[in-house]
Amino acid sequence: MAGAKSALVLCMDVGFSMSNSAPGEEPPFELAKKVIQKFVQRQVFAETKDELALVLFGTDSTKNQLAQDGQYENITVHRNLTVPDFELLEEIENQIHPESQQADWMDALVVCMDLLQTETKGKKCDRLIIALLTDLNTQASPEHLDVIIENLKQAGITLQFFLPFPVEENEEEGGGDGDRRGPGHSGTGKGLSRQQKDSLDMMKHVMLSLDEEDGLDEIYTFRNAIEQLCMFKRIERRPMAWPCQLTIGSCLSIRIVGYKAVTEERLKKMWITVDAQTNKRDDVKRETVYCLDDDNETEVQGEDTIQGFRYGSDIVPFSKVDQDQMKYKHDGKCFAVLGFTKQNLIQRHQFMGNQVIKMFSGKDDEHAAVALSALIRALDELQMVAIVRYAYDRRSNPQVGAAFPCIKEDYECLIYVQLPFMEDLRQFTFPSLENNKKFTPSDAQLSAVDSLIDSMMLVEEDEDGEQKDMFTVHQIPNPAFQRHFQCLHHRAVSPGTPLPPMEPWLKAALERPDVITERYQAPLEEMKKKFPLTEVEKKKKLKTSAQIFGKDAEEPDAKKKKGDEEEEDYNLADIAEGSVTSVGSVDPARDFRTLIRLKTLPFGEVCQQLTHRIEQLLSNKDTIYYMKSITCIQAFREQSVKLGNADLYNSYLQSLKRSISNRRLEVFWDLLVQDAVTLISKDEVEGSTVSKTEANQFLVAEEKKEEVAAPPAEDMGDVDDLLDMM
Amino acid sequence: MAEWNAFYRNEDEEEQQEEGEQSGGDYYKITGRDSLVFLVDASKEMFIKGEDGQPSNFDMTMQVVRSVYTSKIISSHRDLVALVFYGTEQSKNPRNSFKHVYVYHDLDEPGAKRVQDVEALRGEKGAQLAAETMGSGETSLGDALWCCANLYSDIKLRLSHKRLMIFTCRDEPHGGDSAKDRQARTKASDLKETGVIIDLMHLMKPGGFDVAPFFRDIISPPEDESELGLQLEPSEKLEDLQKRVRAKEQKKRAMARLNLCLGEGINVAVGMYATAVTARKPAPIRLYRETNEPVRSKTRTFHTQTGSLLLPSEIKKSQTYGNKQIVMERDEVDAIKKFEDPGLYLIGFKPMEKLKIHHHIRPAVFLYPEEGEVKGSACLFSALLTKCSEKNVFALCRCIARRNYPPRFVALVPQMEVVDEGKVQITPPGFNAIYLPYADDLRTLDLPQCPSASQIQVDKMKEIVSKLRFKYRSDAFENPVIQQHFRNLEALALDMMAPEETEDLIMPKVEQINQRLGPLAQEFKDLVYPYGYNPESKPAPKRKAADAGGGAEKKPKVEVPEDELRAHVQNGTLGKLTVPVLKEACKQFGVRTTGTKKQELIDALTARLGL
Repeated sequence: MAGAKSALVLCMDVGFSMSNSAPGEEPPFELAKKVIQKFVQRQVFAETKDELALVLFGTDSTKNQLAQDGQYENITVHRNLTVPDFELLEEIENQIHPESQQADWMDALVVCMDLLQTETKGKKCDRLIIALLTDLNTQASPEHLDVIIENLKQAGITLQFFLPFPVEENEEEGGGDGDRRGPGHSGTGKGLSRQQKDSLDMMKHVMLSLDEEDGLDEIYTFRNAIEQLCMFKRIERRPMAWPCQLTIGSCLSIRIVGYKAVTEERLKKMWITVDAQTNKRDDVKRETVYCLDDDNETEVQGEDTIQGFRYGSDIVPFSKVDQDQMKYKHDGKCFAVLGFTKQNLIQRHQFMGNQVIKMFSGKDDEHAAVALSALIRALDELQMVAIVRYAYDRRSNPQVGAAFPCIKEDYECLIYVQLPFMEDLRQFTFPSLENNKKFTPSDAQLSAVDSLIDSMMLVEEDEDGEQKDMFTVHQIPNPAFQRHFQCLHHRAVSPGTPLPPMEPWLKAALERPDVITERYQAPLEEMKKKFPLTEVEKKKKLKTSAQIFGKDAEEPDAKKKKGDEEEEDYNLADIAEGSVTSVGSVDPARDFRTLIRLKTLPFGEVCQQLTHRIEQLLSNKDTIYYMKSITCIQAFREQSVKLGNADLYNSYLQSLKRSISNRRLEVFWDLLVQDAVTLISKDEVEGSTVSKTEANQFLVAEEKKEEVAAPPAEDMGDVDDLLDMM
Repeated sequence: MAEWNAFYRNEDEEEQQEEGEQSGGDYYKITGRDSLVFLVDASKEMFIKGEDGQPSNFDMTMQVVRSVYTSKIISSHRDLVALVFYGTEQSKNPRNSFKHVYVYHDLDEPGAKRVQDVEALRGEKGAQLAAETMGSGETSLGDALWCCANLYSDIKLRLSHKRLMIFTCRDEPHGGDSAKDRQARTKASDLKETGVIIDLMHLMKPGGFDVAPFFRDIISPPEDESELGLQLEPSEKLEDLQKRVRAKEQKKRAMARLNLCLGEGINVAVGMYATAVTARKPAPIRLYRETNEPVRSKTRTFHTQTGSLLLPSEIKKSQTYGNKQIVMERDEVDAIKKFEDPGLYLIGFKPMEKLKIHHHIRPAVFLYPEEGEVKGSACLFSALLTKCSEKNVFALCRCIARRNYPPRFVALVPQMEVVDEGKVQITPPGFNAIYLPYADDLRTLDLPQCPSASQIQVDKMKEIVSKLRFKYRSDAFENPVIQQHFRNLEALALDMMAPEETEDLIMPKVEQINQRLGPLAQEFKDLVYPYGYNPESKPAPKRKAADAGGGAEKKPKVEVPEDELRAHVQNGTLGKLTVPVLKEACKQFGVRTTGTKKQELIDALTARLGL
């Protein structure tokens, strides 16, 4: 299995007829180019091992191995068989233009076949494909047609055609079938030139001789192809087999093999931190140091630390070695039945874990298949499930889970899902909604909801009694991945420009189907009338966000990472966007820098605005705001040093320090100390009255302060509410 | 294999992150802590041993206290607990203003030392120790209660729940001294006024314990049926207290408050709750080896060449695809993830049978209306719940649980309230939000063509299944890994010789199963397996041969010549090589990698041999 990949030759017609188009229509050349671009893009981001070659025909020059004595002219092998990369994408973008010759597409096909044959030698390729993009508007010689077909067959090459127009499956019926072609397809069999018609027949002949049944299925139009290719490839992973034995007691076991069938897929690559100037990863190093909680913050080596665990008010040292020795151990891999129970006792919402495993019978073992089938069918008939102990291997923790029977037309399996342990469950109780008169809906209200639901049913039966689902989530590609690749691609091909907006098709894919939106307007209006909803104004909330931050209130990120990452970024693009007139609340540090640079306001004034913001931030008593304040102070310092004016900064920092204990800002101060934000010393700015040692001493002296009780509970409440809101 | 392992690791990391969010240290500052004072009678009567060598009431009480201590330590170690004796000869209390009251443990977080202290008061030796240190003397419950009131008032922390438990076997502690009785009643009502709930744990007494004459006025009336009230037998309450719980207690707290948007202008406020979260071992604390004191960790990003700390604005993020490095600003990386503001957006409804059991990617969350955010939410929510349940449909929503989270789709499955005979809620009313997979999350499997079983074979299996039926309860299985960890910790903390035994509840009871099945197992095997077939043996020989061949070939060290490797790096085709080859190459070039994932190896090698 390993190493299985395909080799594909993209063979594109760049001859002069490809640039012809009806007015207002994109020429076939442009469409074909888009198809190629989209396809290569997908391949690059999917990082498949598939190899790709690009052959152009109709080129002014000739470059191919078969060219000899005026044969195979105007055919250029642009790129040999390799894994596609961005270079290829750039070449397609910049080097492929419509040219003025025409070449025989049959000749081009032969060049492609030859290329595939010579370049896949010694490589393990399980699929060979030639994709021909052309308008068929060239003279093609039918001489060697049979030889070519024979060769294609022998080499096992799949042929695909991409044409600017659709092809009728059956010409006799052609006229009547007009509406079967989707909208937007320009040109049909009519407006075709004689050459095109001849070529079309030849192409059909080739395709049908390769595959009598579905040969014509491999013929696509440019437009269709673009639509299908605009999606980035979904992430595919080769399923790993997990062979094991299903056991019932010690006497009965069945050989099974498990495959992870459903799991939350993640992107294969992570972001790497690089230096902003050099873009090099090696220039940045992240390091974690450990230090004692003493006055000197004595650093200790990582190797000199051990693990401990809290036991009430104590911390019990518990070295890794001891943990390994004492920890729960088990016999490893297993899938053992604990018992059977009714399916309805398993609650759907109590499924645990992040995956579903399908268990099939052991490979090439029909006896196991029969035994497992008996179990699956027995469970299915009794509407029961097996409760099992599942352990992946000796190192992983055992689970308890349910094995559901699953019988499909073409296969049978057990579906394994993890179930909760007692420790996982949180038995929360909530006030009843029924007993409270205030919350009990009236009959009129209930009927409004009733008609809303009816108007919004996504599954409907069509005339044939078949169910039609308008919105199948498991067919939507993960929008996060699509967006991710879209942005990466954009940045790669047009560096220096802001990220593009979301692609319209992606946005549409996530939206309610139009039919529903149309249909549910009336019931929705009824709902609005029947259910008065009023937002409760929260005084506390206002105080912490809207009032202080103005209408641009920035809510602290619920999932911010700890530490320095929380600071805001200095982003040039943003600055260029709006005109900054005062230090705002959203990104005060950035505004501050901008204002200093613009010099529209005097330095003192801008500093005052900044310190005002800092004070507001500090009044929130929360790490996120503290981090933001520190960013401001750093910006204050940086600009002061730049302008050689240390007084305002130094005096502010000194007064801030004096107020620390009164305002219970010890936590904030610790952060400031950690970030080593000192006073500005004489060494940095000449006018400063502070010496270097004094500047450094400034932080040290204050370092260890006895903590004064717990901060007032009220304040914490606010921030918590705010966080919860999100 | 590598893939599975990688998966498990990811899962771990993620859960830990989540745990961190939910059990944030700030939490206790917000809601306050629970507190519990054990007020224990230390009179002579308490030390009288029962018939047939039954432990004395005092001994039993200490057992209870110990078990509550150890349970608290694991379930909610920030709660405060105190142990106070009354009717002692000696006195020991904060200002020593009360005679015959002995504060053994002040109101504080329980720890190993305290558990050991209580342990020391158990048994024969314990009684002796109690006699030596405290002795038995006069009784004034009033003084004792007053002293406890002081304990509460000395606490500067916010307390959410205050409870006082009196353990005694004397129903008339003052022997009819009405002045003392009166004083005790006054003090008790003072305490109750400050929000302390007084509970009586009356112990065995010859002739029975009569609550009525004195204690009726001391204790708090039961709040509701679920509260441990007077109607319970004392022994039952004790058993309840003795039940060891080794699970971290989780407070009810919304993960997020969101708007459920039915359409333009109709927003229902809902709270999102995690009702089932994989419990993990508590996170370890790093200690300095020499002194066992906790260390702090600081993570810094600095420039390798200049050594200076890097500001966030001085770093960027990058990924490499198709031989090209693509660089983005840090906020751009965040911006990519953002689709819209957090919320639930209704798409439509589907019949319940459209929800497939295998469409599972992560544990569900629970939704309940937030009347406090948007007035009218509860009513609309309730109507929606009723109707969805009635029509047997679920609501399909696009869900963004937090800022900068990409959208996921969820099925809102109605769950009506269920109460038991005692009107106690078993399942709360609300919607369970089931996360649905995207196309990327479903894997394509090669389905083997397999024969099916005949009805005779199926029927035999049905007999087996019926023999092993049981009633599944989701809280019936403890996690042996966590249980063992807590027991180990307990043993270390309390200097025990060995940790308590952990019963592995998810181990199949093989003996019992075999016994119940009897001849059925063999009968089934005779029906499905040919003679001599052994399912335990290795797979079919065909595969064996293939394996042997492949294995032998792969075994010898696989090295790739350096120039070839460099060529791969240049062309970005390292991915063609297999993991063992890459590992070997890493060794060859002295590249240290922590990862075993293919991509990590590739990245490491590229970094070393890079352009």
